[in-house]
Amino acid sequence: MADERREIPKPLPEITPVTQPFWEAAANGKLVMQRCRACRSWVWCPRPACVECGSEKLEWTPVSGRGNVFAFTVIREVVGRALRGFEKDIPYVTAWIDLEEGPRICSNIVGCPIEKVAIGMPVEVVFEEAGPGIFLPKFRPR
Amino acid sequence: MSLRGKAAIVGVGETPVDRLGGKPGEPRKVTAEYLAWAVRLALEDAGLTKKDFDGQGLAAIYTTNHSQPFWPEEVANILGITPAVSLGGGNGGASAVSLLGQAAAMIDAGVVDLVLVVAAAAPFSEHGRNRAEPADTRDFEMPFGVMGPNCKISFVMSRYMHESGMTTDHFGKIAVTTRYHASLNPDAYLRKPLTLEEYKSARLISDPIRLYDCVLPANGGKAYIMASPERAKTLRKPPVYLLGWGECHNASAGPRFRANPLITGIRESGKAAFEMAGISLSDIDFLALYDDYVPIVMLQIEDLGFCKKNDKEFFERTDFTFKGELPIQTGGGMINCGQPSTTGGMLHVIEAVRQLRGEGGARQVAGAKVGVVTGLGAVNYGKNFGCTAAAILGKQY
Ligand SMILES: [Zn+2]
Repeated sequence: MADERREIPKPLPEITPVTQPFWEAAANGKLVMQRCRACRSWVWCPRPACVECGSEKLEWTPVSGRGNVFAFTVIREVVGRALRGFEKDIPYVTAWIDLEEGPRICSNIVGCPIEKVAIGMPVEVVFEEAGPGIFLPKFRPR
Repeated sequence: MSLRGKAAIVGVGETPVDRLGGKPGEPRKVTAEYLAWAVRLALEDAGLTKKDFDGQGLAAIYTTNHSQPFWPEEVANILGITPAVSLGGGNGGASAVSLLGQAAAMIDAGVVDLVLVVAAAAPFSEHGRNRAEPADTRDFEMPFGVMGPNCKISFVMSRYMHESGMTTDHFGKIAVTTRYHASLNPDAYLRKPLTLEEYKSARLISDPIRLYDCVLPANGGKAYIMASPERAKTLRKPPVYLLGWGECHNASAGPRFRANPLITGIRESGKAAFEMAGISLSDIDFLALYDDYVPIVMLQIEDLGFCKKNDKEFFERTDFTFKGELPIQTGGGMINCGQPSTTGGMLHVIEAVRQLRGEGGARQVAGAKVGVVTGLGAVNYGKNFGCTAAAILGKQY
């Protein structure tokens, strides 16, 4: 109990009207992103209107959750008080993943020894509960 | 509109930097003290007094650790100046170079004759409130443990190494060169020469970024003063003229959902600055590039057009020392002179002024007439820098 009380929390996303559909889908094990009905562009991160053509007709669209590692790093030090909750996870991998549909998402590579992570590695999404009802899309080798 | 020769830098001031954290019994200064100190030094340098700035322009750069929405007004109040125009620098590390053009435009329009640009920060001695982060960072980076710029620039560097085939030897060469310059600069913070072996064996912070790839956070204050060319000629020091200038914000090379992170907005802001100045790359005597990380210095050299993208051989054969064919970071840059938050961007403007006045001492670029200064701020999700600005400064116009 004492240890649990001392545990430093990690920051959670703030759910806003713009991002709510993303987090609701994540809680149901689905990765969705906005797509513009006017110009068909993908829009990521979530926005109130299309960043290419300005249309507000954005549609939350399921994506495959499959992609490849575009770039990655191994986090070895905590910087800033807001992120002290990650101290116990060090070293861990954060990465940019290019999804098959096009958008690039920032996440963690999990279920893989650090030394095996490489640029180009095929990965797939897996959801991890981070807080009450909050599921983060992470990626593991496929 | 061209700002070529429409304004000049007539005074610069910078306090020594320190890393004092306000431990019990430790001497400590707050942001306001560094600010007032830097302004006094710039005024002395120009031969002006604070009274000269009543009815003129004042520009204060917002900092990450000590900011509130009325910061430029608080700065006027701290200094006891009644400006006719108050500008705020909201472009992070790019603000110092942004404001060169913005101040020159006010001067060229005849609104004011003088602009005092000032920045100070004390991240070690004044922790301030938790900073507010952009929504993308708060919601889609921090929950995954993205450790700020260290982590984000590591993504960029990891991809850069993958695409260019460059190794720690290439990045190490830049780190060793800039430290060499710092060893010749009495105002630098890290002055002990660095060997390539020391660079390569330094600890990893966020792979592939190592200790000496990273900027050195510090407390400090910096200021510069701009004047109309007519006013400039009446002052104490030789004027350093703005010849060219450009900004580019939220650049995205490729679609916004998947930008190329190896191309910075300096490609556009640099191009605009060169076009305004009407000069070519071969006219440039030195570069003073925003340097929060070593790989970023190299991407900017590419984006300014000094070589093609991923040009490994160029970085191998070029002498970047102050005696070489393309001198960079002649005072050691922020990596060796310290980065007091967004104040850090002022360093490059001040070093360029020193070089163009011939005040570079042991690190003086012989016959320096024209130099490039850049500024970068904010690292956007999935990209590189949001704010970019470039300026060309010269002895004559
Ligand atoms: Zn659209």
